[in-house]
Amino acid sequence: MGSIEFTNTSVTYPGGLVALKDVSLSIDEGEFVVVVGLSGAGKSTMLRAINGLVPVSGSVMVDGREVVGASQSELRAIRSDVGMIFQTFNLVNRSRVVNNALMGRLSKIPRWRSLLGLWPAEDKEIALQSLERVNIVEKAYVRASDLSGGQQQRVGIARALAQEPQIILADEPVASLDPVTSHMVMRDLQRINRDLGITTLINLHFLDLARQYGRRLIGLNDGRVVFDGDIADVDDEVFRGIYGRAITPDDLLD
Amino acid sequence: MTVPDLTPDQQMQQLRPKEPLAPRVIRWIVGILIVIPFIWATIGLEISPERIWRAPAEIWVLLTGMFPPDFEDSGRIVAKLLESVYIAWIGTMMGAVFSFPLGFMAATNVAPRWIAIPTRGILSAIRAFPELILAVILIVPFGLGPFTGALAIGLHSIGTLGKLSSEVIEGVDGGPIEAIGSAGGTLPLQMRYGIVPQAMPTIVSYWLYRFEINIRASAVLGLVGAGGIGAEIVARLSFRADWPKAGAALLATIAVVLIVDAVSSSIRRRIITGQPSTSLLSKGMTALTGAGRPPSTELEA
Amino acid sequence: MNTFAPETQVRPTEPPRAVRYLTPLAAGIAATGVIGLAGPVGPLWGTLVGLVTFGALFWADITRRILDAGILVAAGIAGMSYFDWVLAGRSGPIDFKLSLIAAVGWVVYGAGTGFVIHRAQPSYRRTIIGAQAVAWGGGATLALFTATAMGVLAPLNARQISNGDIQELTIGLFIVTGLAAAGVGLGANFSFATRLPSLFASGLVLVVSVMAYNEIKFSTAAIATQLGRIGEIADDFWPPVWKWPKSLGQPDTFNIIEPFIETLQIAIIGAVTGNLLALPLAFYASRMTAPSNVAYRIAKGFLNVVRTIPDLVWGIFFATAVGFGNPFAGALAMIMFSLAIMAKLLSETVDAIDIGPLEAGRAAGARHTQVIQYGAFPQVKPNYVAYALYIFELNIRASVVIGFVGAGGIGRLLNERRNFFQWDQVMAIVLVIFVSVLLIEWFSIWARRKLV
Repeated sequence: MGSIEFTNTSVTYPGGLVALKDVSLSIDEGEFVVVVGLSGAGKSTMLRAINGLVPVSGSVMVDGREVVGASQSELRAIRSDVGMIFQTFNLVNRSRVVNNALMGRLSKIPRWRSLLGLWPAEDKEIALQSLERVNIVEKAYVRASDLSGGQQQRVGIARALAQEPQIILADEPVASLDPVTSHMVMRDLQRINRDLGITTLINLHFLDLARQYGRRLIGLNDGRVVFDGDIADVDDEVFRGIYGRAITPDDLLD
Repeated sequence: MTVPDLTPDQQMQQLRPKEPLAPRVIRWIVGILIVIPFIWATIGLEISPERIWRAPAEIWVLLTGMFPPDFEDSGRIVAKLLESVYIAWIGTMMGAVFSFPLGFMAATNVAPRWIAIPTRGILSAIRAFPELILAVILIVPFGLGPFTGALAIGLHSIGTLGKLSSEVIEGVDGGPIEAIGSAGGTLPLQMRYGIVPQAMPTIVSYWLYRFEINIRASAVLGLVGAGGIGAEIVARLSFRADWPKAGAALLATIAVVLIVDAVSSSIRRRIITGQPSTSLLSKGMTALTGAGRPPSTELEA
Repeated sequence: MNTFAPETQVRPTEPPRAVRYLTPLAAGIAATGVIGLAGPVGPLWGTLVGLVTFGALFWADITRRILDAGILVAAGIAGMSYFDWVLAGRSGPIDFKLSLIAAVGWVVYGAGTGFVIHRAQPSYRRTIIGAQAVAWGGGATLALFTATAMGVLAPLNARQISNGDIQELTIGLFIVTGLAAAGVGLGANFSFATRLPSLFASGLVLVVSVMAYNEIKFSTAAIATQLGRIGEIADDFWPPVWKWPKSLGQPDTFNIIEPFIETLQIAIIGAVTGNLLALPLAFYASRMTAPSNVAYRIAKGFLNVVRTIPDLVWGIFFATAVGFGNPFAGALAMIMFSLAIMAKLLSETVDAIDIGPLEAGRAAGARHTQVIQYGAFPQVKPNYVAYALYIFELNIRASVVIGFVGAGGIGRLLNERRNFFQWDQVMAIVLVIFVSVLLIEWFSIWARRKLV
């Protein structure tokens, strides 16, 4: 459970921009993968290809289910097993924290229940547990907008966890955070991967964070995979291959 | 690579808070406050399920009676519609001209309280009278005709525009006013250079918006003999044989209101954003008026 | 290494100002008006002198190009001669087709001015020539047609005929048409030249206002006279009479309460139902949350049509459909009225929401309706509540008046008393309406402040 398989995957946006070009690779259950590349290299697109949020061609298999050409309900079924974490958190600011976490349960409950807002007790319990897992349960009944950036991102993680996902996709999860909270969020993600065995893909901009937390690293340049291997094998030459230039202080967090 | 373990604050298990009661209670109270009067009103008006069930068929009969419309006396319809537009226009002009000073008088950041509070009271008193009621009263001294309609609409517009203008004036940034004041500028100067430039675009767009509303209002004033297309529609709906003509009048009204809305809202957008919108209509207007051209400094001497 | 030397900055020329163009414009129009109205001068000459005055002043001020001025005057003469030729000797009504034909002369003039402007300022594209031509031609057609069809000139003609100035209805017509066309066309000119659209706007506003003022026979004198009679008028209305017999021969009773409650009930049903129905419609009518482009267009189109129809017309419509005097008709009318306003206001608010939560919801596998309910609605909820209260307030006002057309409520009573010329009873009803509208407005403001 939690494997991903790209076979000749491409993404072409309606404007004609090809953001991902002929990518083939596979990710096994429980892996912790960091994706790096310049902005515009196709990192976000690659993540969104997995849950079908972008127009994708070729083949993307998630747990043996094909994303390309999937019907709306098949796509919803795949998405409900894939949690996503966003750079800008994407919380409903006016809603309470627990309601944000409950959004992760929407795909699991009958339509009439969600329409009337009658949440089953076990779903509420799951939402609260996922808040506990990221240590934010104290704020469960506070408005999301009243939290700090780091706390908001933890709620974002809790929302993904509430889905009880096989896979977590984190799209630049620390890009809007300061260094200290960045490390905390990265550790949360690492711990979740380790404790729950959820396959985790993280887009990162900062190289030192990638080195510190990643195990497997995928480098993207202009929509193509230019590196795919163990983080230990990554040296300056590899980074130059990904970034097209030497490392500068801007590429490091600390 | 070794991973630093969890920081102490993360290891501490947090206590689950109790769900607060207040939001739930409020939700129930609001729900009851809506449902009970609704039921009371439904019973009071004797609206039964059977009554609702019958309505669509009755509406369908009327619709099929009105369409296809009969444009036989379109000349009269056009004349009456134009009259409606003129009534709305004069009403809006009256409203704009008189509400402008009243807006300043009702704004607490310009006028002293002893002026602002009574002015506000007057404005909200004017607003409390719907145009039609004003028209009913004004017909006594001014007689039947579009003039009375224009007065009624103008009076009501003074009330609404005055209130909106005063809110805009109160919302302006105080910085420039203070700057002018500290440079020795008098109150009129502060108003002219500190407030008007900030508030004017919004106020003008309210005038245009009011014109859109007044078009609708003037269309119905004919019911009390104050001119406009409304009387035509009513008269034709009273006889079944005339329903197609009523359909024509209704369609013409809708067309005029749509056109006025489109023109007015494209101007409003341009006033507020300073950018021409991309719609075909506003492109046409740009070509015709030159509005929206970027300012250029190359002027031939 | 930074090598560039300090550069002398070029002072830009001051952008054109309205005032600079206003003087020739005013002089031109004034000359036209004075010459046209002063005496029995032919319309051709009246308008022409005005145009030449304007053109000379305008161009003397800017380019001093004699050639351009020549083109302008030549075009003006050509245009006016043609205009005069087409309309010469006509006494009957002038229809739209004839107006169009006559206005061709103004098209020539417009094209001429456009050409001159384009020559003088090459930064203007060639489209200015066509645009000018259309503006002048359109202005002239409209002015001519409206002037004759609507009888704008009635007072003017009457005076001139009594003076023996004219034999047929031509001169005044020409002057007003010329002035109106010149207003529209010159306005367009100046907007181009100055890039100050407000000038064009004020010109247009002026022309339309004069037309409207004449058409509805607006009279400040009447206002002054009636204000002087205010005591007399007040005697009709004051003191208000609260009780009257329900029908002939019956004792006096207090008859306002019952229809007033009916009005209140109509407003409640209209506001509650309309606001609820507007909820899905508003999300369909916003690009952010519409399930598909087709749904968006249908919802938007439906709303646009519903919104154009005034509340009273809804009242008439439903009263005709479900029966006159039936408050159910009023309730239906108020539902449509509330629905249109709420859906419009809310859909515009939805346009501005943060789409992040919507993406998060979709990524979590939620259905479209769930995404809207949990991702979009909480963002606009405070606005929804505020709008709902505002609409309730509007509904009270609107449901008062729809009674006039047989849709039940206090409006029906008011109309009935009015038809009997019982102004003191009308006053009592108006006072009830006035007080209740004020009370509900205060409540609504208070509640909005409390809830949001």
